[in-house]
Amino acid sequence: MQNPYIPVPVEVAKIITEVDTKDIKTFRFAFLRKEDEAAFEYLPGQFAELSIFGKGESPIGIASSPTQPGYLEFTVQKAGVVTTALHEMEVGTVMGVRGPLGNSWPIDYLAGKNIVIVGGGFAFTTLRSLINYMLDERNRSRFGKITVIYGARTPGLLIYKDELAEWAKRDDLALHVTVDKGDETWKGREGFVPTVCKEVAPSSENAVTVICGPPIMIRFTLPVFFELGFSKENIITSLEMRMKCGIGKCGRCNVGEKYVCKDGPVFSLAELDKLTKEY
Amino acid sequence: MEKRVIRKETLAGIVGELAGKMRVCAPMKAEDEVLFRVLEAGEKPLIEFANAKNAPKNFLFPRTETLLKFTRTGKGMVFAGDQKDGGETLLFGVRPCDARSFTLLDMLFDQEKYRDPYYLDKREKATVVALGCVRPPYTTCFCTSVGGAPLSSEGVDILLTDLGEAYLAEFLTPKGEALREAFGGTPAGEAEEKQKETIATQAAEEIRSRIPAREIKPILDARFEDPFWNTLHQKCLACGTCTYLCPTCHCFDISDEVKRADGIRIRNWDSCMFPMFTKETLGHNPRPSQKERWRQRVMHKFRYYVDNFGAIACVGCGRCVMACPVNLDIRKVVADIAKL
Ligand SMILES: Cc1cc2nc3c(=O)[nH]c(=O)nc-3n(C[C@H](O)[C@H](O)[C@H](O)COP(=O)(O)OP(=O)(O)OC[C@H]3O[C@@H](n4cnc5c(N)ncnc54)[C@H](O)[C@@H]3O)c2cc1C
Ligand code: SF4
Ligand code: SF4
Ligand code: FES
Repeated sequence: MQNPYIPVPVEVAKIITEVDTKDIKTFRFAFLRKEDEAAFEYLPGQFAELSIFGKGESPIGIASSPTQPGYLEFTVQKAGVVTTALHEMEVGTVMGVRGPLGNSWPIDYLAGKNIVIVGGGFAFTTLRSLINYMLDERNRSRFGKITVIYGARTPGLLIYKDELAEWAKRDDLALHVTVDKGDETWKGREGFVPTVCKEVAPSSENAVTVICGPPIMIRFTLPVFFELGFSKENIITSLEMRMKCGIGKCGRCNVGEKYVCKDGPVFSLAELDKLTKEY
Repeated sequence: MEKRVIRKETLAGIVGELAGKMRVCAPMKAEDEVLFRVLEAGEKPLIEFANAKNAPKNFLFPRTETLLKFTRTGKGMVFAGDQKDGGETLLFGVRPCDARSFTLLDMLFDQEKYRDPYYLDKREKATVVALGCVRPPYTTCFCTSVGGAPLSSEGVDILLTDLGEAYLAEFLTPKGEALREAFGGTPAGEAEEKQKETIATQAAEEIRSRIPAREIKPILDARFEDPFWNTLHQKCLACGTCTYLCPTCHCFDISDEVKRADGIRIRNWDSCMFPMFTKETLGHNPRPSQKERWRQRVMHKFRYYVDNFGAIACVGCGRCVMACPVNLDIRKVVADIAKL
């Protein structure tokens, strides 16, 4: 019987400090065994348990895209025991990854539609996975227009800066990066994500919005999308609950009868409407 | 299915003898309580008792269990093997309600996607010998309200029914059949079967505690937000006794322990009644007070489990009713919900 509690070994291959406060880093892991890499078939929106023996495990969204073979990336904020231990790791350290876990962004549902991605702060990780997945030359034609609205509090808190610069050059993606408050060097847009969404006003015609960010951003952004005519089926988000097992056994992460680890973390607003409001 | 009659005075000895050949867990006297524990070879189990204070789920899903081991190397801690319990086990003297709890735990641990190898390994190697409740042991028993019965055979491999002078032993499954020789006895006839049926009907009637456990499902579906939840929990001390003793509660925590160069990852029973259960690192807690936690306990047992598996996650053993230090009674809670 396959044991879903056992992580596979990976090596820290690269560490990127994403923000000027230094508490958010992206970790690139390489699989130590080829067969583990082959077995780790995932889709954007899924997560994995990062496993540091002696410290524990933390569920973290997969920030790389399955179209980028050879490695996995995770962008992690330093928070408690496991994430702090992770932040202290050096390239070459061996640790574990358990997954992929959870459902994913509904790729088949998104196919053939215009996609509006809205992200806030560092909750941009699995959205980045989705963007890179859709932009891959093998996939790009499966999706319509792609609009990305991404915001952070300050320019220093924007993650994936190099990639944002690359995307800005493309003509098959409309990128709108904003910060709540700029600094001397900031030449881009200033303003909160909901306001920018209103200004950009993406059409709801054959469109789906995928949104991830701090609760307050989501609260103020949703009315904008309702106004634009997006139905609840076409607004999709990802939930976070405290987790342990990641496989629907430890009983920790349920919202109503659904386990966020196993049945989620991705839900449409229409699906969330049917669940209890306890998250 | 083979049925045999076993002389009463021989039963404890038979089990004691088996304890020399395999792991046998059975109810034993411990000070003024009865607790399930592993028998020594030749040790005789209790035959006459009400029920054990602890649920036998501990032998399939232990309070503390090692999941895997790891060890330090130059490149960090690495995996050093998983750990399964192994070993054939006989669970003797299980009450039918507790035997049913195994079938409820199976639903969770043995799903198509994600099977729990630790639980299932022990479950597959365990033979359940139940002692039917010919006289329901407590006034708090309510198995008949939640799908059980005093002589229910759900989750049972060998069912023993006290016929007065002797036991009727029903070898219900291949696992049970495998122990037929060891239990000996003589073939049972129609008379014994008839006698058992009469006892079964009588025993079920003797269960006076009845609650509308199934009826509250639609109410719970509609009343997640209800003033009812605002007062229910007020006495609760968040001690976790109710979930700890419950044969169907399955929530657990996972943590790591290290001693010098070696370590283990273990799982421990956890409880939805504890404030930390859902508290996230950055401070947010989706169940911020005991109100939400008590609601979760009721919802999980009488609504979510029914949604997910079509069964109520309570077998009516009454342990939580008897042991709650502030007398919160799940039977009353269910009855009150039915009136909403
Ligand atoms: C589906 C999902 C995706 C996530 N993606 C990311 C991400 O991409 N980047 C990121 O930085 N963080 C992410 N998180 C949050 C991250 O899991 C927590 O910040 C992290 O578990 C804290 O662990 P710790 O050991 O450092 O904290 P401690 O407080 O020391 O440990 C508590 C333990 O409780 C659990 N836990 C505590 N808080 C949370 C939480 N908010 N969510 C889930 N489990 C928790 C974990 O098992 C954790 O190890 C995600 C959470 C979920 C549920
Ligand atoms: S046993 Fe009683 S007091 Fe303790 S957590 Fe359960 S309901 Fe609360
Ligand atoms: S909820 Fe109470 S009565 Fe029901 S199975 Fe659990 S301990 Fe027994
Ligand atoms: S994390 Fe254990 S049930 Fe979801």
